[in-house]
Amino acid sequence: MAADELTLLSIAEAGERLRRRTLSPVELTRAYLARIRAEDAAAHCYITVLQEQALASAATAEREIGSGRYRGPLHGIPIALKDLVMTRGIRTTCGSRILKDWVPDADATVAARLADAGAILLGKLNMHEFAYGPTGVNPHYGTPVNPWGRDRMPGGSSSGSGAAVATGLCAGALGTDTGGSVRIPASLCGIVGLKPTYGRVSRAGVVPLAWSLDHIGPMTRTVTDTALLLQALAGHDPADPSTATLAVPDYRHASDADPRGLRIGVVREVFFERLHPEVRTAVEAAARALEGLGIRVEEIRLPRIHHAGPATFAIITAESMAYHEPYLKTRASEYGADVRARLLTGQFVLATQYLKAQRARQVLRAEVDGVLTTVDALLLPTTPIPAPRTDEREATVDGVCEDVRAWLTRCTRPINLTGHPALSVPCGLTSDGLPVGLQLVGRHFDEATLLRLARAYETVSPLRDRRPSLPA
Amino acid sequence: MASVSKELLRIIAEALARVPVDPGDLPAIEAQLGAQLDGLAGLDELDLQSVEPVTVMLPPREAPHGR
Repeated sequence: MAADELTLLSIAEAGERLRRRTLSPVELTRAYLARIRAEDAAAHCYITVLQEQALASAATAEREIGSGRYRGPLHGIPIALKDLVMTRGIRTTCGSRILKDWVPDADATVAARLADAGAILLGKLNMHEFAYGPTGVNPHYGTPVNPWGRDRMPGGSSSGSGAAVATGLCAGALGTDTGGSVRIPASLCGIVGLKPTYGRVSRAGVVPLAWSLDHIGPMTRTVTDTALLLQALAGHDPADPSTATLAVPDYRHASDADPRGLRIGVVREVFFERLHPEVRTAVEAAARALEGLGIRVEEIRLPRIHHAGPATFAIITAESMAYHEPYLKTRASEYGADVRARLLTGQFVLATQYLKAQRARQVLRAEVDGVLTTVDALLLPTTPIPAPRTDEREATVDGVCEDVRAWLTRCTRPINLTGHPALSVPCGLTSDGLPVGLQLVGRHFDEATLLRLARAYETVSPLRDRRPSLPA
Repeated sequence: MASVSKELLRIIAEALARVPVDPGDLPAIEAQLGAQLDGLAGLDELDLQSVEPVTVMLPPREAPHGR
């Protein structure tokens, strides 16, 4: 198999070859590094590439597998991390000028868990500065190129993660999601992205954007691969008291289970209002495809969910401002203009508004919990519009013109507020060849049902086996 | 969209928050805040007094990045 083809294998496919020793970790890692060398100068997915370290780790993995010390399905798999995940001895920039030379002295828990599982770290991925924006446009390190439309936004804030996975510059990646930052780039780049339940995956050692909304999740080319990464990441961490002590299920096994008999609720309020027509068509076709798989699809109501937008705004602006205030007082000019203005907005949110928002999230969480007693998951679009052009600031749908940042986050941020798990899986292409994402939302700590539904859907998705046209 | 004067924002920044704001950033701040004020006032429709105010979700330790 040619080196380029190796970089498009799924984690599950590559992992099986590694386990059977028909593929070596060094060969696979070299293939990814060659592709990065060939493409990343133009693709802008990586901020730091760890060529020598990756090859050394791959050689270690090769020795271990060769001597029978096989660690599991991630052993020898080349992955990459969003550049706000702390990595010992490796600079961690957060996509910013302010932290351009920061070298942590410890690993984040998620980085350590992937290393323990035998994954090979290829490097650190580009992102929206300090994770504060859904477009992925970065004034300091360039904007990652969306391989489905090279003049289109990759989505953010995990822009490098989405674009690198879609382009075959890593087998899988981690992103973080405070208002949709895993799911939005997954949708715009045509890959799978999971925001796990709040408390499912440790955030220790990951630079925060907004403490009570931040989540960390996997981004991959297939649902099974997302299950494999989640398996390594999930579980209690004493360093993060917000993580749950619940047992972690076997996600891969769960994702292969028959979905017949499950029930899905379609929420029209907010999520289906003012949709790009081709997004509506693709998502409604996905609902019919799920029905064809024996899943019952019904309409449900969330009459108060429109309050999620302002509540999320109050929380994210106040919490992010509190974190960044020291830098804003002394180094404000080093921020990009859009992130600086968004951060500074937080000082004009009243404490009473913040506390009302935290109370509102209890109400809205209870409302979502309530409908999830009658259905197993919710079905929504991930983004109401496909990837805008990188220079677009506003978009118009149904005669309504709004900031693209508002469009991109409308269907994702309510789920950060309620903390439910949510997964984006590709469900179609527009006539311009841009991916559309289907979002599934589940009960707290029931990622297994989302993976089961998404895995079944993936087998009938119109994007099954479709890949962007990549440079030779 | 509700409106907030840039002058009011400048005064709050200087006198209360004490984080300096470049005048060039005020239009973007005004637009973002103005777009949300009606929605924030609308949270009162949720009868929040009946909701337990306990909302603390402990975060992990803050990343010690060179402060």
